[in-house]
Amino acid sequence: MMSMQMLKLQMKVMMKLNKAMLYSYGLHIGRLDGFERLIAGIYGTPDRVPVIAQPYTYAMGMHGLSAKTFFSEPRPFVHASWNMAGYFGIDFWSPVFDFYNIELDALGQKLIWRDRSEPDVDTSDPLIKSEEDFKRLRPPVPGRDGRMPYVLESYQRYMELMGVPPMAYTCSPFTMAVLTRGYVNFIRDMRRNPAFAHRLMEFLSMEVVVPWIDKIVEATNASIVTMSDAWASQPNVTTEMVREFCLPYIEKIIRATNSPLRTVLDTASWGERSVKDPREVLDIKMAMMVPGNDFKALRPFFLLVWNDDYEEIGIPSMRSYAEENKVCLLLNLRPDLIEEGPSEAIVENVRKLIREGAGKGRFVLLINLVPIGTPVEHVHAAVAAAKQFGVYPIDLDLDRQAFRMPEFTPFEEWMKKEGLPV
Amino acid sequence: MDWETELKQAVSEGDEIRADEITAKALEEGVEPKDLLEKGAVAGIYEAGRLWREGEYFLPDIILATEAYKEVLQRIEPLLKSGDVSYKGRVVMGSVEGDAHDIGKNIVVALLRSASYEVIDLGVDVPLQDFVDKARELEADVLGMGAYMTTTMRGMEEVIRLLAEAGLRDKVKVILGGAAVTRGYAEQAGADGYGDNAAEAVELVDRLLGVG
Repeated sequence: MMSMQMLKLQMKVMMKLNKAMLYSYGLHIGRLDGFERLIAGIYGTPDRVPVIAQPYTYAMGMHGLSAKTFFSEPRPFVHASWNMAGYFGIDFWSPVFDFYNIELDALGQKLIWRDRSEPDVDTSDPLIKSEEDFKRLRPPVPGRDGRMPYVLESYQRYMELMGVPPMAYTCSPFTMAVLTRGYVNFIRDMRRNPAFAHRLMEFLSMEVVVPWIDKIVEATNASIVTMSDAWASQPNVTTEMVREFCLPYIEKIIRATNSPLRTVLDTASWGERSVKDPREVLDIKMAMMVPGNDFKALRPFFLLVWNDDYEEIGIPSMRSYAEENKVCLLLNLRPDLIEEGPSEAIVENVRKLIREGAGKGRFVLLINLVPIGTPVEHVHAAVAAAKQFGVYPIDLDLDRQAFRMPEFTPFEEWMKKEGLPV
Repeated sequence: MDWETELKQAVSEGDEIRADEITAKALEEGVEPKDLLEKGAVAGIYEAGRLWREGEYFLPDIILATEAYKEVLQRIEPLLKSGDVSYKGRVVMGSVEGDAHDIGKNIVVALLRSASYEVIDLGVDVPLQDFVDKARELEADVLGMGAYMTTTMRGMEEVIRLLAEAGLRDKVKVILGGAAVTRGYAEQAGADGYGDNAAEAVELVDRLLGVG
């Protein structure tokens, strides 16, 4: 049964969703806040292109936190992320921890911890070295094992600060299979022992991912749950492998966990440039979202295409595919450009993304990774350029607009006035 | 089928169990380790590389082929006599400190070995100074570094700086690769070469060393 606090939160979110959706269809009732802008941008035309970010290790670096603190203590993790997003004026962010590792950690997979970067799976020591290891494996107790309590508590703190549920993250079962078996072993499984590969996928999907999503939803009432699936990418695996060993389980998970007010989807894979016909990968991405999600017209689907792919294939073809399929196009800003700059190059890149991608709406710009040590002016330039160039309707003469870099307060000063303690 | 055809096929098809069995049987029958390496394992990995370049093979196929190749090599390497194999050059290779990813590196290692390079694989998460120490100790012609994450990529330029500091920069060619690395970064870091994908590695090293 839903608590009164959760019920109030749900009502508030419903009102925001209604306002944003009406806005996206042209009925403007007041100004949009960042969350509403994102929703309006997913469904149609907002006031301007929404900019969302994953604060992640950049927030950690800005606050001088160790990886151990950032990735295991909810308060400094959420506060540092909140500060990063607030300082740069990001429209929407969600707590982004090392989401590929949480279930693995809870299962007992060994991780490598370092001072200044996210923990990483120890690929030299995979959890499931043999079928015997698999037989002995027990699913984690959702919310109790590993760092699952850290995730739930972080989401709780986020909701207290933001007044909306987070966009929740889990690891996809396919990527989890690769990480627990080791890449080469799982490739061998799929080629030579498909029955075992399917048993592993079934276990990870229905006994690890589904209970974990249920637990997250119980704690947060999250309306969007994304399973991240970096390993379902080309050329690391073939599209046939994804169709046989990944998609059926994604659909099962979606059917087991979605509701009229919740969208569950699989995302974050890439590889359009690595196959003969990029649409083959785009079709897979659609199949990672849509099957099993009823009420499709009401679902916030987004087609995420990464910079290496859209730079090689071209943004216009991605845009037209998204339009054909009536989904929002989500493009990231390339991390090495943000890091290296100069600001002028970043601004021009944002201008190009908006000129070619923004269309009449259903477009979101994602700052997925800002490498530690990146000058803050680079991030300010990216956000300011998106806010200036991204105003709808997009200026047909966008190239002639002179960019105006706003003045910004140094982070230390901003922290004194507006920052949360970490 | 004769052992030569069978071993070549087992390696190119990525069947490490069959490749090892054929190798063991052939050794029992008195086949020279050198022949097993050149006519079986190397020929097999070369064939896999060819099919990959022609678009017949996908990355998982080439990965399994390199695993089969490694299996054969593991069995016959201790049996090779000095002078059995002549190399075009010596390559020291690894994933930089903080980076545990090794898929791309492993492919490059296998392809270079198949092209008659002696490759010393330092593995993953290699401390930056170790690259310099090993390059000096082993008198490497080429030092290859891989990075998958932008956070670890910066270590590459530090290694290049350390090489210069040690007076080795003119003696060793430095090549970079990996998901995080771009041609622009490789140039900026002062590398001699960059490979966008593993398949380019052999051609790149051949060119840098002036061999073919």
